[in-house]
Amino acid sequence: MSALTTAAPGAPVVELDLAELRRDPYPAYAELRRTAPLAWVPSVGRHLLTRYDDIVHAEKLPEVFSSREEGSLLLRTVGPNMLREDDPDHRRLRAAAEPPTRPRQVRDQWAAAFERTAHKLLDRIAGRGEGDLIRDFAEPLVAANLALVLGLRNASADDIADWSRAMMDGNSNYADDPDIWLRAERATRAIEEAVAEMAEVTRREPDGSVISSMVHAADPVELAEIQNNVKVIIGGGVNEPRDVFGVGAWALLQRPDALDRALKDPSAWKRVFEETARWISPIGMYPRQLTQDYEIAGVTLPAGSRVALVIASGNRDESVFERADEFDLDRPHRPHLAFGGGPHFCMGAWVARHEVSAIAWPLVFSRLKGLRLDDGATASDSGSAAGSLDGWVFRGLTSLDVTWQATA
Amino acid sequence: MPTVIFQLPDGTERKVIAVSGTVLMQAAVSGGVAGIVAECGGNASCATCHVYVDSAQAELVGPPNDVEDEMLDFTAAERRPTSRLSCQIHLSDALDGLVVHVPEEQV
Repeated sequence: MSALTTAAPGAPVVELDLAELRRDPYPAYAELRRTAPLAWVPSVGRHLLTRYDDIVHAEKLPEVFSSREEGSLLLRTVGPNMLREDDPDHRRLRAAAEPPTRPRQVRDQWAAAFERTAHKLLDRIAGRGEGDLIRDFAEPLVAANLALVLGLRNASADDIADWSRAMMDGNSNYADDPDIWLRAERATRAIEEAVAEMAEVTRREPDGSVISSMVHAADPVELAEIQNNVKVIIGGGVNEPRDVFGVGAWALLQRPDALDRALKDPSAWKRVFEETARWISPIGMYPRQLTQDYEIAGVTLPAGSRVALVIASGNRDESVFERADEFDLDRPHRPHLAFGGGPHFCMGAWVARHEVSAIAWPLVFSRLKGLRLDDGATASDSGSAAGSLDGWVFRGLTSLDVTWQATA
Repeated sequence: MPTVIFQLPDGTERKVIAVSGTVLMQAAVSGGVAGIVAECGGNASCATCHVYVDSAQAELVGPPNDVEDEMLDFTAAERRPTSRLSCQIHLSDALDGLVVHVPEEQV
């Protein structure tokens, strides 16, 4: 099967400007859902699938909507990995890597260290009275937590954050910029070395980390497979929890009632997390390639067709979520698509839920008294027009400037 | 071809004729049973296909496996003694007439 790089016969062709999509993709998605729920978008080189029900349908058919995409930038950046595999290979790798990310492991093995790191970062900034909650808190927190869960004791939080950024830039290097490739290659080589070292250490002394779990998997995993999959996890594992933290904090700082509720009833943080992930999904879309001819959203796609499942759009589908553009903790309970679905359901979901909703938000809002947004950091209620919100494949705040009462 | 019965939170019930050798979650999804979300597609990593097995049949169905037992501590609705993930209940003719209760919340 070779990848088709043109529109399927009968598919509407819709021109979308990538710069505009990065700035605010939601108006374009609303229009696509209304008029062309499966559309070929030349600037993206894929068919965009934008309605909730169609996305759920596709996610439940991994044998048709394959994760093996030819010409994938992710494959070029990190090499073969579980995100671009189907079962049974995907299952073998996932089963090897997953145990340390299950919820009981998160609670029993990692949570105390996550909390210590959060306190340490807050100790460092509490006396300042102002800062950028993304750069000064969220990013170093999630990067340090990721190093811990992966078992990269030989890497710093800064290393992890830098590597993640370099690889994410590679994954979206549609312009084929040689400098971006060079930075991504440097990062992936450094990860390979760090993983090889820790694989050797954990072969002798298992430590409950992802690397250790893969080294000792019942179904054998080779070193190169461990290296490539750690690269993928570093690529996604920083920006997603960081972005859900940032967007959720920003939403609450503009909604004192919702914040007050979460401060009085800690069980509400869980709702804040799920609603934030629905409202502005950290991952906006992911690619699939058809293994056979298949009709969806009124169009028959030939085998080889490239499709993007636009989960950010599904999460704003008015037929599923009333007043979908609004952030609303009381909306009727419907499952969102932010973690994806089917066999590739986000492996980091339980880690992210715990580090953000049980630790990061409660500590930030209880320790930084009088926390408020800097002038200029507010935005429209739809969350569409904030200056520092950026991205459509991945979307989050690039900065979150705030002030609080400095403490000694 | 076992028949399974889903008791829904609103008091109604759905009967689904399942295929032996498949899992209960698949019967729910193909039968369009509302309330069985099954985000992870049957890999015991999301805890969104939670059901309560009818207590009269709990022994017949058996206890959860280790991974499932862990996930059941993190379901959205409360865990009860007969809680199971429907993706881990393998159907056979021996389970014909199985009755399960679907909880209010999955996420």
